[in-house]
Amino acid sequence: MALETERKTEAIFISTPAQKQKDRILLLLRLVAFLATASATIVMALNKQTNTLVVATVGNNPIKASLTAKFQHTPAFVFFVVANVMASFHNLLILLLEIVGHKIDYKGLRLAIIAILDMLIVVLAAAGDGAALFMAELGKNGNSHARWNKICDKFQTFCDHGSGALIASFIGLILLLIINIISIAKLFNPKSYNTI
Amino acid sequence: MTKARRIFTLLLRLLALGATLAATIIMVTSHDSAEVLNLTFEAKYSNESTFKYFVIAEAVASGYSLIVLFISSKSLLRHLVMILDVVITTLLSSSVSAAMAIAHVGKKGNSHTGWLPICGQVHKFCNQVTGALIAGFIAAIIYLVLLLYTLHTVYI
Repeated sequence: MALETERKTEAIFISTPAQKQKDRILLLLRLVAFLATASATIVMALNKQTNTLVVATVGNNPIKASLTAKFQHTPAFVFFVVANVMASFHNLLILLLEIVGHKIDYKGLRLAIIAILDMLIVVLAAAGDGAALFMAELGKNGNSHARWNKICDKFQTFCDHGSGALIASFIGLILLLIINIISIAKLFNPKSYNTI
Repeated sequence: MTKARRIFTLLLRLLALGATLAATIIMVTSHDSAEVLNLTFEAKYSNESTFKYFVIAEAVASGYSLIVLFISSKSLLRHLVMILDVVITTLLSSSVSAAMAIAHVGKKGNSHTGWLPICGQVHKFCNQVTGALIAGFIAAIIYLVLLLYTLHTVYI
């Protein structure tokens, strides 16, 4: 029959009090993830340290040379900042969507779209974190085989701020991964079906 | 799932297995030594912790790909497979990105920190690492496509 071929199945989710509680917990997790990634971005973007050392003395005047350590010097940290900016932006957007735009939907695909976007952002943030972590490890320990000296003994504040940003970013990544897994698990069994 | 979709998923998983296996093997067999000013300069993947992490991550991913090939798409484990796919994609992408960051330092050096590039002395090592990175990158992309395809065919 023509009516049956035109029937479209749409999944809606009943909001029971238990479901509302779970949604609120998810929202809280996402808020903490947003704060973590945003703070990681800000701390790393403002990461800068200048060391002045006396290079030579001419007569009575010491000649000073200043060395700066900035996050832009390494492409790994630049990628870290960019990835965390995108992750925090995504978190903020989905937070606003959940709080303000509860009714916004696209052919019943709202949950699937959020899950897919979450997956992409998790992969991106993981890449940024991995690169920055190993670059920081290289800066901290150096590499004797390649004759690369460590830089953390001269630029202690730079390294400390970088480590703080890395820890915050990893917390954000783990929370985002948990949120993503919960969203995918929600997709497995929708609570009811509505046929139009 | 229709037969065509199942075959396509199987094909993607086989490709992913091949790519991760290739990345592991190429990185493990990368080895070169050079003589600079009477000092032997030996370059192995195990000298650098990032490359060790890369090898471990790719080995775990290839083992996972092999095991999952034998789980049919109708079994009860398919939800767990979907979640583990996300975790493995994350792992692969982070390992490739980290290895690429360190390989970039090895190839171009870093003038601000005084790190000299080493690719001029150990060409063979550099080429093999580049090959392993390309294979790892392809593996990460294949896993991402697999993830999106699985979501599209099963749940949407």
